[in-house]
Amino acid sequence: MKKSYKYGLLVVALAFLGYNSVYFKKLSAVRAESGAEFDFQAYADSIYYQGMLKNDRTVGLPALLAAVRADADGAFEKYGNRLGIGNSAYFMVSCSGKIAEITADGISLVTDDAETISVNTRYIFGNALRDASGLVKLTDFKTNADFNRVSEALNALIRTKIIPPVVQQLQAGDRIAVTGAVKLSKKALEYPEIVITPAQIKPE
Amino acid sequence: MNITFNNQLLRKSQSLIALFLLCALIALLSDKFLTATNLWNVLRQISVNVCIAVGMTLVVLMAGIDLSVGSVLAFSGAVCAGLIKYGFAFESLDLFVGFTVLGGILGAMLVGLLLGLFNGWVITKFVVPPFVATLAMLTIARGMTMLYTQGIPVSNLGPELEYIGSGWLLGIPVPVWISLIVVLVFVFISRRTAFGRYIYAIGGNEKVAFLSGININRIKLAVYGLAGMLAAVGGVMVTARLNSAQPNAGMTYELDAIAAVVIGGTSLSGGVGSVTGTVIGAAIIGVLNNGLVLLNVSPFWQQVAKGVVILLAVIIDKMNRKEA
Repeated sequence: MKKSYKYGLLVVALAFLGYNSVYFKKLSAVRAESGAEFDFQAYADSIYYQGMLKNDRTVGLPALLAAVRADADGAFEKYGNRLGIGNSAYFMVSCSGKIAEITADGISLVTDDAETISVNTRYIFGNALRDASGLVKLTDFKTNADFNRVSEALNALIRTKIIPPVVQQLQAGDRIAVTGAVKLSKKALEYPEIVITPAQIKPE
Repeated sequence: MNITFNNQLLRKSQSLIALFLLCALIALLSDKFLTATNLWNVLRQISVNVCIAVGMTLVVLMAGIDLSVGSVLAFSGAVCAGLIKYGFAFESLDLFVGFTVLGGILGAMLVGLLLGLFNGWVITKFVVPPFVATLAMLTIARGMTMLYTQGIPVSNLGPELEYIGSGWLLGIPVPVWISLIVVLVFVFISRRTAFGRYIYAIGGNEKVAFLSGININRIKLAVYGLAGMLAAVGGVMVTARLNSAQPNAGMTYELDAIAAVVIGGTSLSGGVGSVTGTVIGAAIIGVLNNGLVLLNVSPFWQQVAKGVVILLAVIIDKMNRKEA
């Protein structure tokens, strides 16, 4: 009798957990629902094609480095974008140079000013591009999660569609022009490590 | 007689004394340490390690080891996130099977349990040393995580799951509640049930335990299964905290768990130790990490300090056993 009680309780517990764990819907209804939601990918596409590449805050990398060394606060104010307070900001930069090395993770580029910088072509994640562009405002979204989904969509577009076809054609010694995001800190301006998260790479 | 008793008491409480001394030292050196915000933060940070280390304690008490918990954590966390975010779609049936947060958590725990049971099965069925079997699972589970997530984080899992990682309940962070429940359940299991006593018996002398009629393989299977399930609980907590499942989550967590177990006084040769000791061990590691950060010590030195503490714990344990 005791055993039957135990098994009975177990069945009730499993039924309760199952009922509260899983739900079933028509797949077509789910797709229609999600289609009616805000389309982050379309938004990211418009930011990329209509805003990011025509951004008037894009600055040449040599000019930016010279400006921050001369007057860091002024240069951060003029060219930088950041969401909160702090010593770091994102900048939308452009530069040209000769490819020294191509690896699975990125490109080592010697710029026309003989600076060696890295262009990250594999791990295009995070908020660098969204924040550097200065085109997307936190206040435009209801939640931080939605704000971050713009980054996700933008990164996915660039990581999967924009960069790979170009990188496949490149080899060491080629000249390229890069537009992308870079993070600088006021605390490390003497010899900053420049890593560009690219928005566009163009063979020259 | 009295002196022997006092010595035994001192030996039993040495981890606790070490924790108090460490707290006192850091409090003297940093005025931020004893603030409520910081102490809650420490508790929140150690709660994942506590869950994993409790499972590890059971394994180590049996003279085993489980190196796979970090990877199992990552895979379970990814499964939890994947179920909640994507569910399953059956095109031909026009059917979508979705999972609530509870469903995601149960799915993750089931995955952790199955991976742990697989460890136990390999160890008992093929008599593979636990070190090798769980080392293999470490890479298998990490690979499965990468395959499942395609190396990309699964993010934006909703506020309900986020609450489990970052929320507060009755003035206490939810992860602390979870680890407290895990500790209470496993203190009870290890001290008050036949299953708990069998674990100690197997760790003390496996041959004698076998001759006493204990089904050793079944107990081992269950313990590795539980260790996997507790790693999955840790995985859910990490995923909830970040509101995102990271494919590289949980790397080297197994080392922190083993460190907590050893510092807490559990013997790596089995048979001696306790869940409560492990909790103190995890607290020592958490306080040490927090203190070194507050004191602006370089992360490289933090690694060195942690290693030295583990070494000291093992040496003191050995000396105690010799004296006993």
